[in-house]
Amino acid sequence: MTRFPMIRKTLGRCLIIGIVLLFLFIALFPLFWIFIGSLHPTADLLQARVTFPPAHITLDHYQTLFHAQYGVKLFVRYIKNSLMVGLSVACLTIAIAGLGAYGLSRYRFWGSETMSRIMLFVYVFPQSLILVPIYVLLAHFRLIDSHFGLIITHTALVAPFCTWLLRSFFEAIPRELEEAAAVEGANWLQILIHVLLPLASPGVVTAGIYALVVSWGEYMFAVNLLMSGAKWTVPAGLATYMTEQAIEWGQLLAGTVLTAVPILIIFLPFAKYFLRGFLEGALK
Amino acid sequence: MTRAGVNEYVGLFNYQKVLSSSLFYQAVVNSLRWTGLSLAIQLSVPLILALALNQRFWGNSLARVLMLVPWIMPTVVVAIMLRWLMEPNVGLINHLLLALSIIREPIDFLGRTQSAFLTLVCANSWQFLPFGTLLILAGLQTIPRDVLEAAWVDGAGVWQRFRYIIFPLLGPVIGFVFFLAFVWNFNTLGLIWLTTQGGPLNTTLTLPVLIYRRAFRGSAMGEAAAMGSLASVALMIVGVFYFKYLWKRPT
Repeated sequence: MTRFPMIRKTLGRCLIIGIVLLFLFIALFPLFWIFIGSLHPTADLLQARVTFPPAHITLDHYQTLFHAQYGVKLFVRYIKNSLMVGLSVACLTIAIAGLGAYGLSRYRFWGSETMSRIMLFVYVFPQSLILVPIYVLLAHFRLIDSHFGLIITHTALVAPFCTWLLRSFFEAIPRELEEAAAVEGANWLQILIHVLLPLASPGVVTAGIYALVVSWGEYMFAVNLLMSGAKWTVPAGLATYMTEQAIEWGQLLAGTVLTAVPILIIFLPFAKYFLRGFLEGALK
Repeated sequence: MTRAGVNEYVGLFNYQKVLSSSLFYQAVVNSLRWTGLSLAIQLSVPLILALALNQRFWGNSLARVLMLVPWIMPTVVVAIMLRWLMEPNVGLINHLLLALSIIREPIDFLGRTQSAFLTLVCANSWQFLPFGTLLILAGLQTIPRDVLEAAWVDGAGVWQRFRYIIFPLLGPVIGFVFFLAFVWNFNTLGLIWLTTQGGPLNTTLTLPVLIYRRAFRGSAMGEAAAMGSLASVALMIVGVFYFKYLWKRPT
């Protein structure tokens, strides 16, 4: 083999591309198949006669989801709720994580290194454990069944990781820039907003997208903290289609597509930023 | 544990109750099996994928973006996907296996004690792979290309480059992925709750599922809190161990 380096190189390349294609197939095919399934009439779904391209295309399942005949089960409403909660979580997280990361990267104080480790350490506590205390805490402030309660809960879930991520971005920014701004008479908040955050914009986008993705998909808190159906986020609403006695596969699949598509639409345009931000910031 | 004495008596009672229930031990064993098996998959597969994605080829950046898709999917989507594809009567997997005559009768993957656990581990890993791959890829990118090229010029083969350059430099990153994956898997709740709820016959009943079931279905809040505290202490020990011995900030 060593006598034919070109052949060897080509073989290696084919192997690498083969591995990547295999993984992409495993990653994407199930989701693609759900989309195809959601276009099939119920009769075909029940006989496992899902084909590509579909023999009969129907949008009935989507129409059923969008119409009000199910009372509170309004899918559009769920999507709006989820967007509202997710975007609020992203903004709040950036604000809190930005301040936290600034403090951790620019001020050395007793315990600052320990503190940044604890940022990741908090993730050791199981969600099933913190559900109860958070419920009790929010009940004290009358924040059960309110979007605000869910927003601050989700923010608490993602803020530590985002702080840790932003911190490495801030540390990469030379201090001379801040000193120059300070000479010009800017205070620390102005420095943070006008100097650090713009320079760390890949990190800020990464943190925001991360917060949005987690909040959009979060199920356990959403379903336990929100009582009334009209306030549900998409995961909480969608899961109710699954627990019914006879599963309406068509509606369930259409609902799944409607849950997956918005986050893909939001995520994909930023994906390159996110990747870069993550690859640069996650391990430094 | 540091609370005032009023809670002490009840606290001990709850711990006693938990420690004498066989279901608790079963959940602990299930959790360890769940975490161990998941870690084996979630450390090895992302390593292979990250090594492949670290090479230059046409479409690389597109592949990286598309690879992330399972990770941004909500747990509910993964649960529905799994239930639909694995369903005995309408699911694709059974349909394919029957058509290829690999099996004679449809298998209820999530309903049988022999297969539910493994099916869920695979689905769970399916979702974690992008995140692990991304982290390892980030680690690979910190390895300077000229070091690898110099080794290549000196005649180091693929395996030698991996064994003596990449692997040692990647150590801290793999440790980091290990820690995150450990915590993430040990605490998996949503996916199991939305598919099997711990069944069939408690084969997928991990500790978080048992805690959740006790707290929200059995309204045995005290027991749930006792189990949660025990789980937290165990995880804290892993965390302290990690930060004390494995944590290295690559510079």
